[in-house]
Amino acid sequence: MPEFSPVDYAVPGFVLLVLLEMLWAWKKRPEAYEPRDTLTSLAFGLGSTVAGLITGGLFLALFLWVWQYRIFDFGPEWWTVWWAWPLCFVLDDLKYYWVHRFGHRVRWFWASHVNHHSSQHYNLSTALRQTWTGALTLGFAFALPLVLLGFHPVMIAICGGFNLIYQFWIHTEAIGKMPRWFEAVMNTPSHHRVHHATNPRYLDRNYAGVFIVWDRVFGTFEEECPDEERIRYGIVKQLGSFNLLWSVFHEWVGIVQDMWRAPWRHKLSYLLREPGWTHDGSRETSDMIRARWLERTGRPEPGAQENPIAAGERTA
Amino acid sequence: MQLAQFGGSLVAILLLAWLAHRLGLGGDLRIRSEDQARELADEAVSGFDPVDIAIDRAGCSAILRDASGRILLLRRHGAHFAGRLITTRPEARLDQGLLTIGAEDKPFGTVTLNLGKAAQEWAASLRRLEKVGA
Repeated sequence: MPEFSPVDYAVPGFVLLVLLEMLWAWKKRPEAYEPRDTLTSLAFGLGSTVAGLITGGLFLALFLWVWQYRIFDFGPEWWTVWWAWPLCFVLDDLKYYWVHRFGHRVRWFWASHVNHHSSQHYNLSTALRQTWTGALTLGFAFALPLVLLGFHPVMIAICGGFNLIYQFWIHTEAIGKMPRWFEAVMNTPSHHRVHHATNPRYLDRNYAGVFIVWDRVFGTFEEECPDEERIRYGIVKQLGSFNLLWSVFHEWVGIVQDMWRAPWRHKLSYLLREPGWTHDGSRETSDMIRARWLERTGRPEPGAQENPIAAGERTA
Repeated sequence: MQLAQFGGSLVAILLLAWLAHRLGLGGDLRIRSEDQARELADEAVSGFDPVDIAIDRAGCSAILRDASGRILLLRRHGAHFAGRLITTRPEARLDQGLLTIGAEDKPFGTVTLNLGKAAQEWAASLRRLEKVGA
């Protein structure tokens, strides 16, 4: 069985590229980096690797147990079945799309994923701003269908590692748009800037990891329009703090406070409904913010009617 | 091995943050005009359209009110600005032209605005807000 963690090998490259982007910022856009923000983001990255070490073994054990009940068997030397690797990579990316979409649409998942979005900067250090609390969500369950199909948990982990490495370079403002054919299929800096934006038109769009086609298929794609408005990054209610522990746990604290104060029949909704939902309408969800913006600007809802899945979610 | 990796990563992180500081990255962003304050307000709370704006003399913060009476406090956060709606009577202190406001959201911290003569007027409008739990 191969013992290989692609991310471990990529870390020196991450550091080097952050350094290069900093030099670019120094020459061209000094405001693209901020020392305290960079320190917070990188500390997130380091902490997340520690959290991964603590919980990774548990999930591997669970997946190995489930793997006993697999539908297809790739044989005792499963790593030699060459075509299983690209297939696993593509299916893992599809899985990533849905985990990620849930990460934005269910507050329980968002409490963990918000960490990746809470910087008001968008640079390569933001890519390393990874959660410490992923194990507290049900994100791991999305990998179970792959395990049951017969993909070995180690194969899935390796593919997931390459997926993560791919996503590193797209966290930059230093690259404009890639060639059209590439933008059509792959996730790019342009597509992912949209994902990190707080402009109402861009909220909860472009969930893709590697292949942007998932967003096009499932109706969540939005094109970046740099000529129409400047992109703003972060979260709808900006943190306004560089305190690392507050940055890590603020949404979990918010959930506990909201559940504590809410009437009994609404308590679970504060965990399971979308971020911003309140039983008394005192806050706004991303759908509400976008709807208000569309009304204010008199624009038609972009793209949504074309796709039955996206339209269904909106009317639900 | 893992401890060495952790140590190496920690050193790299500190070096990168130090370098960002040494290179002067982040800049010195200030609010220079009412139009800029208006734009920042819309970024902080989508659709917030101020009718009254008071900008701190150093341009590090601002306080704004919209037509429905909502008050928004903006302050610099690194190379950007962050804002909070002040919905209930906050902890506020007036010292001549300096108005210090503590947002309900404690981690956001307190903000001191040098507003000159306008400070008194804004302090009065904050006092008119309902107390927490009232």
